[in-house]
Amino acid sequence: MRQRILPLLLALALFLTGCNLLPEGGSPAREVSESSIWAMDTQMDLRLYGDTEGAVMAELITVLNRLDKTLSATSADSALTALNESGRTEDADIVYLAANARTVSAQTGGALDITLLPVSRLWGFGTDSHTVPDPAELEALRDKVGMDKLSVSDGAVSIPTGTMLDFGALAKGYAADLCRARMEEAGISGILALGGNIQTVGTKPDGSDWIIGIQDPDNTGRYLLSLKLTGSKAAVASGDYQRFFIQDDVRYCHILDPETLSPVQGSLRSVTVVADQGLLADSLSTALFVLGREAGIELWRQRGDFEAVWIEADGTRWITPGLKDRVVEGYYQVIEP
Amino acid sequence: MKTKHWALLLGAVFLLLAGIVSWQYLGAKTASHAEIWVDGVLTQTVDLSRDGEYRIESAQGWNQLTVSGGKLAVTAASCPDGDCVRCGPRNTNPPIVCLPNRVSIRFSESGEMDGAVR
Repeated sequence: MRQRILPLLLALALFLTGCNLLPEGGSPAREVSESSIWAMDTQMDLRLYGDTEGAVMAELITVLNRLDKTLSATSADSALTALNESGRTEDADIVYLAANARTVSAQTGGALDITLLPVSRLWGFGTDSHTVPDPAELEALRDKVGMDKLSVSDGAVSIPTGTMLDFGALAKGYAADLCRARMEEAGISGILALGGNIQTVGTKPDGSDWIIGIQDPDNTGRYLLSLKLTGSKAAVASGDYQRFFIQDDVRYCHILDPETLSPVQGSLRSVTVVADQGLLADSLSTALFVLGREAGIELWRQRGDFEAVWIEADGTRWITPGLKDRVVEGYYQVIEP
Repeated sequence: MKTKHWALLLGAVFLLLAGIVSWQYLGAKTASHAEIWVDGVLTQTVDLSRDGEYRIESAQGWNQLTVSGGKLAVTAASCPDGDCVRCGPRNTNPPIVCLPNRVSIRFSESGEMDGAVR
């Protein structure tokens, strides 16, 4: 009997305690590596799990620096500046982004417009001197802007003289997509904070959800909602609190309404979009902020390929039903499907 | 040793190991931090490893928090029902909620979110 029971005890002990060789979630313990860089006029924080050699991190940083160099609207030697000066480029990143911007612009009734750089500069955004421009000056720019000025064909982008493109509403989302694809290919999980754009990739080592906060527009150290995201998701916000100036008690934010050529004025403080693709989330967050809550909700009903949070000036927070079970903390109202 | 004794020993070992596994996998996680949400806004994150006193003010009233021995308790509050005070010291969820003062204290492992949308 003794000879039978001892092996049984040993097997039982191994079975029960052996479960603990794996951390919660069942995935092996993964080494964390973190890097921060400055690119696209913002700080980018990358946290990867399982990149033991650091090779993937190095690749991501190379990608981000390449896009920074290509898509800068202020650098004299970027491919985008070359396009804005010469009127034509075959740069693959620019062609891809321009084509995508045209699609989203058409889908949002023109709310996304990447030709507003001259207008933005007239308002002083990107400079040290903000000012409310003379209406006549704004109108003088009208024939230089508009998505109809943009031609994408035969692997090239063309624009007329005086028209200038700016990919500020898409670049970080596109960068997040490229990084996510490389990480997934390499079997690396992690979270990327490209400025305020959040990209989660894969599963956390402990198997738990990613927890992200949505910033209070009035206080950058506080959060109005926290959400749990599962797997690879992009979360991007557009709001009136990121870059703005106040003149005569009026707040002028950097997001311009293509119709008025003026900063968006409305009841919204921010819109956050959660989607599978970073580029989609980035471009839609800008478009939804321009559209306002009601039109934005209508767009959500038509598309159904993203979730969103609208934060209004009176503090009301509206969320799409798909986020209801994703809220960890915070008050909200759920919009009707 | 008699067969009866072996059976008793086997049972005892089984119960012991089952208890350990249950504790590891089913037990609530001990938090290292507490998030203080006031009127739906995350206003403060408290490190539970540091003993201290915190006074939380909201438009509706106040709550006095005491961190001691890795746990947080609402030790006094202006609310009429005192439910939050009766929760006692905690370092695990569910959150301590003071409905009258619109205060929620949620316990977290890291004390930090993974990221913030800005």
